[in-house]
Amino acid sequence: MKQEISALMDGELFEDDAEGFLKRIERDSDAHKDWELYHLIGDVLRQPDHIHGDLSAKVRERMRDEPTIFVRRGHAGNQKMLTFALSAAASLSAIGVVAWMSMQIGSEALPSLAMQQNSVRPVKAQIQRYNSDYLMAHQEFSPSTDMNGGASYIRTVSYRSDEK
Amino acid sequence: MADKEVDQQLVERVQRGDKHAFDLLVSKYQRKLGRLISRFVRDPAEAEDVTQDAFIKAYRALPSFRGESAFYTWLYRIGINTAKNYLLANKRRAPSTTIFDTEDAESFEEASLLREVSTPENELMSKQVVDVVQASLQQLPEDLRSALTLREIEGLSYEEIASVMNCPIGTVRSRIFRAREAVAENLRPLLETSKGNRW
Repeated sequence: MKQEISALMDGELFEDDAEGFLKRIERDSDAHKDWELYHLIGDVLRQPDHIHGDLSAKVRERMRDEPTIFVRRGHAGNQKMLTFALSAAASLSAIGVVAWMSMQIGSEALPSLAMQQNSVRPVKAQIQRYNSDYLMAHQEFSPSTDMNGGASYIRTVSYRSDEK
Repeated sequence: MADKEVDQQLVERVQRGDKHAFDLLVSKYQRKLGRLISRFVRDPAEAEDVTQDAFIKAYRALPSFRGESAFYTWLYRIGINTAKNYLLANKRRAPSTTIFDTEDAESFEEASLLREVSTPENELMSKQVVDVVQASLQQLPEDLRSALTLREIEGLSYEEIASVMNCPIGTVRSRIFRAREAVAENLRPLLETSKGNRW
């Protein structure tokens, strides 16, 4: 037991063991004395110029009038969990906002692209040879332009090769 | 389990209604806190009262302690504030006055009941305790003395001590315990003779 007290006060005991030994030290007056004595030895070694009588008995006496504390169980632990949960929620919200914004940008861009695709259609322009010969031959009768040629008669048309 | 975690476990036990767990914290930190407070409050008897007050304030404030800082850091902050408030209250109070407000009167009464003014007997006792510890340390075998010194004065962990002393951690643990127990064996008779002085 004493060796465990020694290790416990140095923070060198496993957590599961520590809890049990803390309970035993509280209940066992001899163990409690050893805990006090070992701490006294440490204090004397570290600060020999400032050693005074044990205050714990006096504090204990004054503590009799103090109410017992009851903090909601796991309050301290929950605080850490709450902090972690809030951080995680903030991160997820940020990711969500970024994702939503990128979706908005994407959905706005798509229709305009679609419209562009609809409005710009490649057209194969070909001047039919038989028309061309005729127009070229009568270009001087063109009414709409001063150009002496067949440019104003040219129309851009397309046709499928299987059509006759 | 680190030292800080031991404190946290004790704090959580107090927060669950276990007053006795607070005793262990008082035993552990009373001299450290007393030394800190004595830097502000020079009179030893007053410093002792302020140290007690600081512990009581810490106990009352424990429901709000959430373990965000180490317990001793939090306790020291309370100690410094208690000492500063004490000094401030003393400055405001006329030195010759015999009139106290209710709060002062209560604390004065409590302090008077519990205060043990630094008597020559107490001072002698302190000196004897220091002498016994230091003499016991010198009598220890070299390996035990080194292990205890590295732990208590240098503050090294068992792993670090094992590395320095080139031995397994289990040996370090055993050496430190044997060293403490050897010193304690010499101290017990002295402390048992002074039970009335609460040593």
